[in-house]
Amino acid sequence: MKPAPFRYAAAQSLEHALALKAEAGEEARFLAGGQSLIPAMNFRLAQPAMLIDLNPLDDLDYITVDNGALRIGARTRYSRVEHCAEVARWQPLLAEVLPNIAHPQIRNRGTLCGNLSNADPASELPAVMLAAGARMHAHSAGGDRWIAAADFFINLFETALQPDEMLVEIELPALPARSGTCFIEVARRPGDYAMAGVAASLTLDANGRCGSASIALCNAGPTPMAAAAAAQLLIGGVLDAEAIAAAAAQAQEEVEPNGNVHCTADYQRHLAGVLTRRALTSAAARARQGTSA
Amino acid sequence: MNHPLEPGLKSLAEAGLGSIALTVNGRPALLNCAPPTRLAHALRDELGLTGTKIGCDAGDCGACTVLLDGKQVCSCITAVAQCAGREVTTIEGLAQDGKLNRLQQAFLKYGAAQCGICTPGMLMAASDLLAGNAAPTQAEVEDALGGVLCRCTGYQKIVESVLAVAHDDLTLEPPTAGRAVGSRLARLDGVSKLTGAEKYGADEYPAGALWLRVVRSPHARAGFTLGDLDAFRRKYPQIEGFITAADVPENSFCVFPVPKDQPVLADGHVRFRGEAVLGLLGERDAIIAIPEAEMPITWQPRHALTEPEEALTATGDLIHDFAPENVLCRGRVVKGDVQAAFPMAAHVVEENFRTSYVEHAYIEPEAGYAEVVSQGGQERLRLFVCTQTPYMDKEEVARVLKLPHDRVRVVPSAIGGGFGGKLDISVQPLLAVAAWKLKRPVRIVYTRPESMASTPKRHPSRIRVRLGCDKEGKLTAMDFAGDFNTGAYASWGSTVANRVPIHASGPYALPNVRALTRAVYTNNAIAGAFRGFGVPQACIATETLMDELAEKCGIDALEFRYRNAIRAGDATACGQVLQASAGLDQCLDALRPAWAGAKEASAAFNGQAIRSGSRKRRGAGLACMWYGIGNTVIANPSTMTIGLRASGRVVLYNGAQEIGQGTYTIMPQIAADALGVPVSLIDQVHSDTDLTEDAGKSSASRQTFVSGNAAKFAAEDLRRQLLQLAGTAADATLRLEGTALIAGTSRIDLQGLTPINERGDLALGSGYFNPPTVPLDADGQGVPYATFAFAAQLAEVEVDLDYGTVKVLHIHAAHDVGRAVNPTQVEGQIHGGIAQGLGLALMEEYISGKTDNLHDYLIPTVGDMPRITTYLIEDAEPLGPYGAKGVGEPALVPTAPAIYSAIRAATGVRVRLAPATPDRLKAALKAHEAGQRL
Ligand SMILES: Cc1cc2nc3c(=O)[nH]c(=O)nc-3n(C[C@H](O)[C@H](O)[C@H](O)COP(=O)(O)OP(=O)(O)OC[C@H]3O[C@@H](n4cnc5c(N)ncnc54)[C@H](O)[C@@H]3O)c2cc1C
Ligand code: FES
Ligand code: FES
Repeated sequence: MKPAPFRYAAAQSLEHALALKAEAGEEARFLAGGQSLIPAMNFRLAQPAMLIDLNPLDDLDYITVDNGALRIGARTRYSRVEHCAEVARWQPLLAEVLPNIAHPQIRNRGTLCGNLSNADPASELPAVMLAAGARMHAHSAGGDRWIAAADFFINLFETALQPDEMLVEIELPALPARSGTCFIEVARRPGDYAMAGVAASLTLDANGRCGSASIALCNAGPTPMAAAAAAQLLIGGVLDAEAIAAAAAQAQEEVEPNGNVHCTADYQRHLAGVLTRRALTSAAARARQGTSA
Repeated sequence: MNHPLEPGLKSLAEAGLGSIALTVNGRPALLNCAPPTRLAHALRDELGLTGTKIGCDAGDCGACTVLLDGKQVCSCITAVAQCAGREVTTIEGLAQDGKLNRLQQAFLKYGAAQCGICTPGMLMAASDLLAGNAAPTQAEVEDALGGVLCRCTGYQKIVESVLAVAHDDLTLEPPTAGRAVGSRLARLDGVSKLTGAEKYGADEYPAGALWLRVVRSPHARAGFTLGDLDAFRRKYPQIEGFITAADVPENSFCVFPVPKDQPVLADGHVRFRGEAVLGLLGERDAIIAIPEAEMPITWQPRHALTEPEEALTATGDLIHDFAPENVLCRGRVVKGDVQAAFPMAAHVVEENFRTSYVEHAYIEPEAGYAEVVSQGGQERLRLFVCTQTPYMDKEEVARVLKLPHDRVRVVPSAIGGGFGGKLDISVQPLLAVAAWKLKRPVRIVYTRPESMASTPKRHPSRIRVRLGCDKEGKLTAMDFAGDFNTGAYASWGSTVANRVPIHASGPYALPNVRALTRAVYTNNAIAGAFRGFGVPQACIATETLMDELAEKCGIDALEFRYRNAIRAGDATACGQVLQASAGLDQCLDALRPAWAGAKEASAAFNGQAIRSGSRKRRGAGLACMWYGIGNTVIANPSTMTIGLRASGRVVLYNGAQEIGQGTYTIMPQIAADALGVPVSLIDQVHSDTDLTEDAGKSSASRQTFVSGNAAKFAAEDLRRQLLQLAGTAADATLRLEGTALIAGTSRIDLQGLTPINERGDLALGSGYFNPPTVPLDADGQGVPYATFAFAAQLAEVEVDLDYGTVKVLHIHAAHDVGRAVNPTQVEGQIHGGIAQGLGLALMEEYISGKTDNLHDYLIPTVGDMPRITTYLIEDAEPLGPYGAKGVGEPALVPTAPAIYSAIRAATGVRVRLAPATPDRLKAALKAHEAGQRL
């Protein structure tokens, strides 16, 4: 199918993109990898009046590492991040999640910022951002601001971005020493959106107890779902099977799955528990080994 | 095309208008299309590079995969503006100087392309991988190909081909005279599938063809009225014409003579969601741009009867007036005395089973065009369309237009997968009515959701079976009752209702059988023909109970089946005494070592898993099947002709429609050996209702057996004529040397002979075959099929008890095919059948309005497929060409029950609802652990 007629502008610079967006507001959409937007347009599920194409913005295609903290630009595609040794070294959670997202074709086009701006709670990436404690850097013609991942995802397909704002980069903070992370999911087929998935990040204190913990789930509610109470249960304790089982049981209580054509809500809730247990078990083992992944 | 200018933008370039320069296959190209135009459309429409296919337009199927700066991308969701200044490589760019590259050669040699519609995507994805990794591992190949769906091959030969590029000798050795049958001859239509030259339904259309947009019902059942079409057209002047029910001369069709129950365009009343009500014609983009909500249609929705239970009991509420109780058809086979037999049985088991709607999900949506051509002072309709059944299309279109048959010509396109789905009528009458009314060429390509909503599916079933045996484990009685949801229209529903009871007993000798079926009308999606015509659904039920009985008797599952296997000399439930070629026992013998190994391996695995606290369990399971080749009693003859030309080449007029299964390779193989010449001397005229004889439908696994015989007889006839011409003995050898015919000791210069027809044939052999059958009586007693195929499959699975997920590890498939005319193609059919069986077992469920796309309707990807080992049993069928029977449908029939059997072995859970999705299996596992039955 052909999309409805609309206006198209190739951004010549970040400022140009922001100026166009300021002028057109909600009417206009940024076009990043197009891997969510174009299929939606092909079937008229999205009919933006104007597209602002970010693809010419080569200077937003970057991955930088600063003392273990990672910054990724708006034009950076999945496949670049997936194959970046620095990412695997400093942010193993991100490296671990990417092969779960779609197929090589999609990852050769899609961008992380496009995914996050799309705010699909079924997507794996927003949950990873929550678990990693990432920050989002939003720009508008009038200035810029940082938004914590925890404040960024407002609702189904809804972010904290204002109509004149663009997500320009994301920052994942450095992972402390003695940390371990894990992402796992259960999908119907390889590359499909998960029926449920869990991102976990654990850091041990000097005594080998749990110093900090974060757990976030995808496809478990209207936004990526942080299992904050479950994480809280772990802090200060020994990461043994019992503690992990208790956290997993708590995580199951914190999710709000809706069910879909692929599975029932009950099953998603069940998965939330099992996956949390498995993810925490691996993350704890990795933290102990000091391998983080 | 109009591009509204963005006010405030300075230059055309900034607005993204003007032409886009890029490199395509190494050459500069200029695209004059709007910047957001999808690359796939631009390549196909602007540059004529139709090798790139569109299967979904949504990123889900990967058929459109091309390389952008060397990296694989989906061209259907890439805007051309994003390709400016970049390099695009398509399938047309792979062969250099007309020579296939190594990847293409490997695909040809190992039979990696069947229908070929996924091949462009596969080749491009693999090219990306191989460019950076000349000798990848199997896992790397599977990752690289993960985004391209194939519905035909089961992926194994594709993966083998990609792996072969690094090492294998890829040269092809064509068979010599007399050695074609049984050889691994590469597909004769393979090269065009590998270069992108093949023309599928959407790849060709006359200049100026109008686009047909079909407006469809959003309701499952409703009355409707069309509003003022003239006013509608004034509002949307891009509309150049309409078709409505009033424009259809005979507004009804069906694959059967009765009941012609389906309208081409609904007349005031719709019976399922997706039914066609109105056609709009005009320029494609303009006509598509009209919003759905603007259609001048007023709906009066009614209560829809979506399930058979409701339809059967909705007293007086009839979906069709002629079908009381909403039953389309009943099937019945009764032998012996079931009632008397059960009380005598030592063991009896009984269970209910259900299966869901399954979609064919061929990667090519229905497409084609129709035009009115004037010939000999008469107007004729010419239809170019993807179809499994050109001759039936011709008759049905002629009926609908109220034209004599000879005024319609059907020229089949290459077909991108059928599996029974294109054995039905879809775009054909719509195109015909529109072209005939407007006297202009008209084309259509269904969108994926349109294809899925409007065309037939596999029948959902509800089956109850009771099965008994004596204390030695010999089966004594089966009582089988099945209801099949046939949806809103008949389609092939009666074939399903009739074929199932005949096959219900399974490939076993059973003295007492009662098998009753009903095909029930509902307001749900139409169910029709799908690989196996209901037998796969029945096989799930009966094979599950075979396992249970074996267990009750304390007999090994393979041994139990072996003991009961029907053999030559035994009578079927229809009273048909099998004369020969009943190789189930040989199939089971072939599986014995693998069966013992698999049971041992899974026991060892589970022991270890329990000790280590792992939640994974493995199991091995078996299932058997039989399948009657060809139509059930109904005549299904094929005719083939074959001519010799003065050039010294032989021409086979091959009307056996190629659908990926290989008829354009197998028929020449058979004809070559029958004539006694190398297959390389044979040219073909492919299926075309003006040029070839009627070789029936590509259905019911009949082409090799039925048309294969016709091809053999035709070639023998030609041989006879040529030997006569040469005046030599009937057993003399025959050779063609340049333009000379050498028969025994005589030599004839072909250039000196006068052709017998305007095509230039010097002699024409003709062959006809119709399988011998005997009509069934009221109890289903008779000879429904001339021959049966047999198979046994063994599945090894791993179940995650926490997730409820199933990973199929290995399938061993033993098939009695009579004779493998081309082992590569037989294996390809088996692999592909198993992939579809796996989908049926574990993932596929069509829900109207919810899974009408390839994102939510899940078919197996390369990563879902197990290793497959095939065992070809060749228990020759005396009636078959060189002993051959068929394999197309048999390949899929036993797969789902074998997988379920393995799940049960692994977990103790008996699957009674297909597909066994993770949530369902998890719920069953929970109930099982709690000692309950779900
Ligand atoms: C077949 C298929 C399978 C997929 N499977 C998965 C999967 O398993 N998991 C998964 O997570 N995703 C999956 N996706 C979606 C994919 O990850 C998308 O690429 C991603 O969601 C969007 O990124 P994009 O760069 O393509 O964004 P686009 O499609 O270009 O844009 C998406 C939305 O974000 C807006 N936007 C883009 N960039 C910005 C920005 N910088 N600032 C503000 N707004 C912006 C756009 O206007 C649009 O509304 C799949 C997609 C396909 C086609
Ligand atoms: S057509 Fe592009 S992915 Fe299906
Ligand atoms: S050969 Fe792959 S879809 Fe037909």
